[in-house]
Amino acid sequence: MTKTVLTIDDSRTMREMLNHALVEAGYRVLQAVDGVEGLEVLAANSGQIDVVITDINMPRLDGFGVIEGVRADPAHRATPILVLTTESDAAKKERARSAGATGWIVKPFNPVKLVDAVRRVAA
Amino acid sequence: MDPFESIKQTFFQECDELLTDAEQGLLAMEAGDADSETINAVFRAVHSVKGGAGAFGLEQLIRFAHVFETIMDELRSEKMALTDEVAKTLLRAFDVLADHVAAARDGGEVEESRSAGILGEMKALIGADGVEEEADPDEDFGFVPMLVSIDGDDAAPEPASIDFGGETPAFEAAPDATDSAEIWRIEFAPKSEMYVKANEAGLVLRELARLGPTEVTIDGSDVPPLDQLSAEQAYARWTIILTTEADEAAIREVFEFVEDDCVLSITCENSDDAAAAASAEASLDLAALLARVQGAPAAAPPAPVQDLVDVSAMIARAQEVPAPASAAAPRAAAPAAAPTPITRAAPPPANANPAPAPQATIRVDLDRVDRLINAVGELVIQQAMLSQRVTESGLARSSNVALGLEDLELLTREIQDSVMAIRAQPVKSVFQRMPRLVREVADMTGKRVRLVMEGEGTEVDKTVIERLTDPITHMLRNAIDHGLETPEQRAEVDKPAEGLVRLRALHRGGRIVIEVQDDGRGINRPRVRGIAVDKGLISEDQVLSDEEVDNLIFLPGFSTAETISDISGRGVGMDVVRRSIQGLGGRISISSEPGKGSKFTLSLPLTLAVLDGMVVTAADQTLVAPLSAIVESLTPKAEDIHYVGGKDAVIRIRDTFVPLIDVGVALGFRDTPIANGSGVAVLVESEGGGKAALLVEAIQGQRQVVIKSLEANYQQIEGVAAATILGDGRVALILDVDALVTTIRRKPAARPEKRMAG
Repeated sequence: MTKTVLTIDDSRTMREMLNHALVEAGYRVLQAVDGVEGLEVLAANSGQIDVVITDINMPRLDGFGVIEGVRADPAHRATPILVLTTESDAAKKERARSAGATGWIVKPFNPVKLVDAVRRVAA
Repeated sequence: MDPFESIKQTFFQECDELLTDAEQGLLAMEAGDADSETINAVFRAVHSVKGGAGAFGLEQLIRFAHVFETIMDELRSEKMALTDEVAKTLLRAFDVLADHVAAARDGGEVEESRSAGILGEMKALIGADGVEEEADPDEDFGFVPMLVSIDGDDAAPEPASIDFGGETPAFEAAPDATDSAEIWRIEFAPKSEMYVKANEAGLVLRELARLGPTEVTIDGSDVPPLDQLSAEQAYARWTIILTTEADEAAIREVFEFVEDDCVLSITCENSDDAAAAASAEASLDLAALLARVQGAPAAAPPAPVQDLVDVSAMIARAQEVPAPASAAAPRAAAPAAAPTPITRAAPPPANANPAPAPQATIRVDLDRVDRLINAVGELVIQQAMLSQRVTESGLARSSNVALGLEDLELLTREIQDSVMAIRAQPVKSVFQRMPRLVREVADMTGKRVRLVMEGEGTEVDKTVIERLTDPITHMLRNAIDHGLETPEQRAEVDKPAEGLVRLRALHRGGRIVIEVQDDGRGINRPRVRGIAVDKGLISEDQVLSDEEVDNLIFLPGFSTAETISDISGRGVGMDVVRRSIQGLGGRISISSEPGKGSKFTLSLPLTLAVLDGMVVTAADQTLVAPLSAIVESLTPKAEDIHYVGGKDAVIRIRDTFVPLIDVGVALGFRDTPIANGSGVAVLVESEGGGKAALLVEAIQGQRQVVIKSLEANYQQIEGVAAATILGDGRVALILDVDALVTTIRRKPAARPEKRMAG
């Protein structure tokens, strides 16, 4: 069955790269431009999103807010969340982890690695 | 298009937007009205530029953006204070950053000394060791060649890793162990935190199986009776014997996301004994596990049917536990063939009526809009032709056909307006490039300039916008280079050291008007006049108004080596600017007050696609005069027409005399003018303010016409701006009123031009 990935990033380039790699790999992809829109899309598709990929630094609502919001949705308490980090910044990664992130993708990512990471968390 | 290229294009498009945002933020920072969100937004913009650059391996850009980003990071975390010096340095660094983006896009190079210079300044701001060098560019940014693999399956480096459509590959699909394979013993005991973060043991096992054949043993001895089972707890432990060629790092990578939330031990045990031992362990009695789960002693005989029914009831209860149940329970024991239904909660209903993401805007290829515009243009023409045929057929105005046509006309108008609105864009995109230009020109000339911009939201057709950049650039350069004085000169005349340049856009009479005004010295009229006389553009004794003298600078051949500086001239005279503007149906003029400054005024039609025109007849030709230029029309009386110097006609309109131009003669349709006192005169006004009366035989009426470029289809003709197709299918020429008026009014000036042309 086709799995759905919600990608949240304020960079259009990044969204397009994610979209391309994931669609190529057979996923259905939903996109949002910041945390607020991300949670809106999540709410509109509640229970139908298999993986969330989110950027950290975004306008309006950042990635930590997204993690919190996703975990607050009963239908998505156990949905894997991958955060995008540019720097392999240990502090940020740790903060995301303790907020409930499942894993991370270091930007710039290689499409193979990206898909690898998604597959690693998606049932 | 190659997806790699397509995404790269997106990146550069986005860069333009990001840089625009960043510049605005930086300008606000310089002006001292930036809040923390502004600084964060600049940080994000630079960060995104760097991120994208990383994806495409644009090394120069990455390095520069990295230092820039570091400063922004220091500023937003308030480790560095935002001083005027920092803001100014960042603005200059921004210009270089924009150059790096442009260089990356166009495959050029940024002048090393320039880039290095500002990089040094930025590093100095941060402090000697403040910038953490991008440690290993190969590691961080070295995957570029692999990006190509998104295009086709042939390039995928690890075929196994991209194969995951639908069901996961069976464990048997793992590569065969070879001679170089080693045997690894992996002990894996998840903590409950691992499940809270939505990681699953089963997926980890699945990943491991990709590395090679696995033998998985589950230790379920800690699994409590089902009614005591907590969905949030972790009970199961696994021992995996993996035979693989992969090294330990590859194995650890599988546990990358979970290693902090589990007890993990990975040991290499390359002996047959170890494998044998593992095999023995693997034969764990599943019946025993199941029995434990059911709360019965391991050694108990198979549970009677009655007990199984109770199990079903418990399963049913277990399924009422919220979603994490599926994550937290040992369903991951699947490889060991545990009876999976035990704890499997109902999967979320994926793909049921997927709701689309909310979107307020869409991005459309410009080609499509252009096709639509063209089609609407044809629609307007067809509609006009249809109207004309119906009129000719003699149908009553009140007939159903005529009424329906009227509705059609309204609808056509509406469609046309809506389509035009799609292409309308604020001039902001052009204006935004100007602060940088002003900074550069000010730097080069040693002048101090403050640029004030107004009306950035004024909308105009996209095609017009694209062509505004050059003239505005030119006018601004001119204003700073020629208009403004140096700070010392300004001090002498009691002006503030900082010169003011005002760039303004507004709508006026269906046109967009751009004004560039400076508070400099104004045009040196005696000098301009002198140059014009020297160049033979005017005769020495010619009487010209101040305004006419000012506008001499637009004449071809006026620009001299003396007036062309690197900055304002770039080897192009104002006449070229004027010609290109006229090519767009626009006009440019200058007014000036000595000592107080000058003002360039540029006006262009809002769209280059349609025009409200007055259809007239001259020398049996149907012509169109742009309605925007027409002041009034009148029937000339013979006694109002006078001849100056025996040839040039003027007409008296109320108390003033204006030149009377016989359009048929001016355009060369015939040699003899219309008989005195017949025909209709159309009073027109040019952008320069000059008036003239165009003498034609008759006025047919007002009509909206679709502009077809003559240059694109034929060639440019003086006095003709473009062509159109009328309702009856005939081609009609659209008059270039400005050129007609100018030709007559500045005849002496026009002569050398003709000589040069010939």
